Amino acid sequence: MEKKAVIFDIGRFRNTDGPGIRTIIFFKGCPLRCKWCSNPFGLSVQPQLAVNFEKCTACGKCAQVCKNGVNKIVDGKLEVNFSKCSQCGACIVPCPAGCRKITGEEYTARELYEEARKDAAFSRRDNGGVTLSGGEILAQYEVAAEVLRLCRQNYINTCIETSAYGKWEHLEQIAQYCNIIFVDLKHIDSAKHEEITGVPNELILENIRKLADYAVEKNIQLIIRRPIIPGYNDEDEATIGAAKFIAELPGNPEINIIPFHNLGENKYDMIGEEYIPKDLTMLGKKDDIIVRVKELTEKYAPDCRVSVGGEAIDLNKG
Amino acid sequence: MAAKNMFTGAKLGLGIRDGQSSKVGSTPRIQALNGMMHAERPNCDIFRARVLTEVYRQTEGEPAMRRRYKASAELYKRFKPVIYEHERLAGWPASRIRGTQIAIDMHAHWLEGEIDQIRTREYDPFEISDEDLKELKEDIIPYWKDKTPASLWAKYLSEDEAHRSQEGGFADVINYVASHGSHFLPDYPYLMEHGLRGQYETAMKCLEELDPDDPASIDKKEFYAGLLEVLLGIKEMAENYSNLARTMAGKEEDPQRKQELLKMAECMRCVPWNPPRDFYEAIEVVWFVLCILFVEGAGPSVTYGRFDQYMYPFYKKGIEDGTLTPELAMEYIEELYIKTTANPWLLATDLAYYFGGYFRYPHLDVGGLDRNRRDASNELSYLCLRAMRYVKTTAPSVSLLLHQKTPDDLLIEACKLSAEGMGHPSFFNMETLISILEQRAGGLNGRSPYTVDQILEWGSPIGCVEPGVMGHQYGHTDSCMINVAYAPTLVLTHGIKPDNVDGWGCGERLSYDNGFISQYTTFGKFYKAVKDQIEFAIKEAHYDTIIVEKIFAEQFQLPTYTLLLRGAVERGIDAASGGATCNIGPTIQSVGFGTLVDSLAAVRKVIYDDKEATIEELAQALSSNFVGYEELRQKLAAAPKYGNDDDYVDDIAMDIWKFFANTVRGLKNYRGGYIDPAVQMVQAHVGFGAKTGATANGRYAGTPLSDTMAATQQGDTSGIMAAVRSYGKMDFPAYTNGTVLDMWIKGSDLINR
Repeated sequence: MEKKAVIFDIGRFRNTDGPGIRTIIFFKGCPLRCKWCSNPFGLSVQPQLAVNFEKCTACGKCAQVCKNGVNKIVDGKLEVNFSKCSQCGACIVPCPAGCRKITGEEYTARELYEEARKDAAFSRRDNGGVTLSGGEILAQYEVAAEVLRLCRQNYINTCIETSAYGKWEHLEQIAQYCNIIFVDLKHIDSAKHEEITGVPNELILENIRKLADYAVEKNIQLIIRRPIIPGYNDEDEATIGAAKFIAELPGNPEINIIPFHNLGENKYDMIGEEYIPKDLTMLGKKDDIIVRVKELTEKYAPDCRVSVGGEAIDLNKG
Repeated sequence: MAAKNMFTGAKLGLGIRDGQSSKVGSTPRIQALNGMMHAERPNCDIFRARVLTEVYRQTEGEPAMRRRYKASAELYKRFKPVIYEHERLAGWPASRIRGTQIAIDMHAHWLEGEIDQIRTREYDPFEISDEDLKELKEDIIPYWKDKTPASLWAKYLSEDEAHRSQEGGFADVINYVASHGSHFLPDYPYLMEHGLRGQYETAMKCLEELDPDDPASIDKKEFYAGLLEVLLGIKEMAENYSNLARTMAGKEEDPQRKQELLKMAECMRCVPWNPPRDFYEAIEVVWFVLCILFVEGAGPSVTYGRFDQYMYPFYKKGIEDGTLTPELAMEYIEELYIKTTANPWLLATDLAYYFGGYFRYPHLDVGGLDRNRRDASNELSYLCLRAMRYVKTTAPSVSLLLHQKTPDDLLIEACKLSAEGMGHPSFFNMETLISILEQRAGGLNGRSPYTVDQILEWGSPIGCVEPGVMGHQYGHTDSCMINVAYAPTLVLTHGIKPDNVDGWGCGERLSYDNGFISQYTTFGKFYKAVKDQIEFAIKEAHYDTIIVEKIFAEQFQLPTYTLLLRGAVERGIDAASGGATCNIGPTIQSVGFGTLVDSLAAVRKVIYDDKEATIEELAQALSSNFVGYEELRQKLAAAPKYGNDDDYVDDIAMDIWKFFANTVRGLKNYRGGYIDPAVQMVQAHVGFGAKTGATANGRYAGTPLSDTMAATQQGDTSGIMAAVRSYGKMDFPAYTNGTVLDMWIKGSDLINR
């Protein structure tokens, strides 16, 4: 049987994560557990029940239909025991407020390509195209590679976003079909990296080095992303270390600084998980922390272009 | 200047009355003029009504055309010119800024009932002086109230028919009856080349060549003699402006203003009688023609057409000989925009209900192709778009005629204007526009009378979106509105209007009775009944309006419009009687398309596929406005929706889209052409919604319908591109009177550059 990937969202008409108008396909499942993750739906590879409590009218329909007793109305408020849920989906349609969905649907590579192709007419003019994101696409690399191959074959611009935490052979299989690769460098120090993401960074650093060589060889645009999360990885040593590491890579990859945002917070509620960086406020491009990180990065990686924000991309380089 | 331009969109609209935010524009002159215009409230002038009454009283019993032509000639001759401070373009259609003439011959019947509330009515109030009000009430309205087209038309219909078609909310023809002299692309290219003098010489020659023994000459003699008078009237009106400007210059102390007034005097001595000699005189012609058309006609949508094409030779010459700069040209354009915006549209409350907001739908186009299908854009195209970003007026509707060869930077200039959030510019797809014009008024198998060159050279939209060819087309293009969203409900209420909504006839017959509800055992049978309802409404509206068309052709001639049609003078036929190359309308528009489609999809899904309720239960739910049927309403509302690239519903949309267009295009008009269908109505979905009972998509009675051809509000939940893919499935050229799609896009979804 043809291999399928679990996808938790297909974002359309996006103007981030690559040039032009983009269709972003979000793969479900990730080996990392970054504490600030803004896409918690992407963590588990399994389909999950998601409930938008803000829209819920506590009518109790879901409680009536659920065989596992997941849903309960207590004092006029809905309570959901997510751990009991078997993802049968029986509660989705009856909900009159439409506040429930099963996040995570299976697609073949061909089906995903068809979704991307629908939007191709909109993105042709501005180098737009498709971006594969997640979750972590390496976790489902076969389908990801095939989607990218089909897109490239049909002249659709391709981007990926990856943590580079996976086997190099898998990453290479994907990278060969990319126009642009975004790869995250969350912390240069392995112990710290493990503390904030759950995994050490040796494999990631090694893959980034290989990727940089590969990008030069294959004329792919490589962009190293630095998410900046106050209190987690915004210290000067981390910035300087990362800048130095990138400065030594071949091809002077662009460094893209992403200020912390908490837009994913309410998604945690929707799947019954706890949001960790509750106390952090959203950063703007001009906040002191970001300005400092940018200055230091520019100082220690003087030959690399340094940009801030997810929508920043140098069209002339691509 | 940057600070002056910080207001956009709604913020500008809300702040407009403070007199500060309206003072915007690229130069101090424009800022002052903009402030002056916005400081005035819409007002009406009875000059036209008074002159018309006088002429008609004196000419009782004379031929209809002679009376009509004489009235227009007198209007122009006696028009009292006014020139305001800062102005360089001369002319106003009424005595005050933001004034309108009362087209008494169109409006007397409703004014009789509304005149006392005209200053305070809820929709579109107008200022008027006490003396004028008295004269209207005591002298003018009593003379005219039985002579308007609506009054004459009512004699052809039963009382119910007349009410139903004007106030019922299913098939509505009132805009056609009340707005004669409208929807027009005047022949600017002719005026730029020959001036009105050219038409005078033609008419003179035709009159001399008439054979008095030819029976056709009887009417033609009236026609030519009348036209000559009208032409001399326009000439005299322009000269009166010239004289006033010269007198004012004599008294003016500021040397710069004195110079401007002298220049204006010289300009008005020349145009529009002679062809213009420079950019200033040419743009004066553009404005002055709109002015006189607003004096003679009652309707909206007199249009500038492809302004950047017929103005470009003057622009180029001015830049080359050093008499013009791009900045000065843009200032003239901004002044034109302000003066255009200052023309309110006077309507009965019944109509203001649909069209509220005074807007008179003038339109200006840039870009497009030339006759060799090359890109036609030039420096003026950019200036016209940029001028609107500075002056921020509601009119004219600036539009970009878009095609594959449109330069990227022109498209980006247009997108920058879009991002201001004012609704400018409209984007028109040239491929569709050309295809429509090739089929315009040609019926189901037909071809339009236009040549390919005419289409490529001067084809452009009129008013909102209705395609036309400049100088070659006459006809009301916004005539009948069919509220298609009502059809499924009326199938289930046996054609009776529910009693929980606005407008005439609650509990009365609005349409015919399809028979027992139990006959709809399949979706196909129900769908057929819905189509029958729509066809009934289309045919009733058609039957109603061709009567009006005949009345217009026989008694309500339009000499000024005739003069601005290519070849009408030679043909010796008035615009209202079929003098144009292509005689359009009365057209038929659909309102509430998205609501109709969603209703059909919901019935199919909930009643026939899922069998969650019976058709009888649905009928009950709709007549009770879902009271006691909330669960069913929610199921209906959750059915697949148009605008999400979902073929379950888009297949229905494509079919009913085509059905409406084909039904309309099979019908003939009085002047020998075929009727054209459209999807328009940017605002009417609110007014019609108020008159519409509950619909099967779960919509409550009285709430707005979907607008234009767009999805229902909050119905397109799969993003902009899925919505566009849904819309893209429709056969656009099938709507030979044009289509509108109104989309709202979040500012943050735009790519900033």
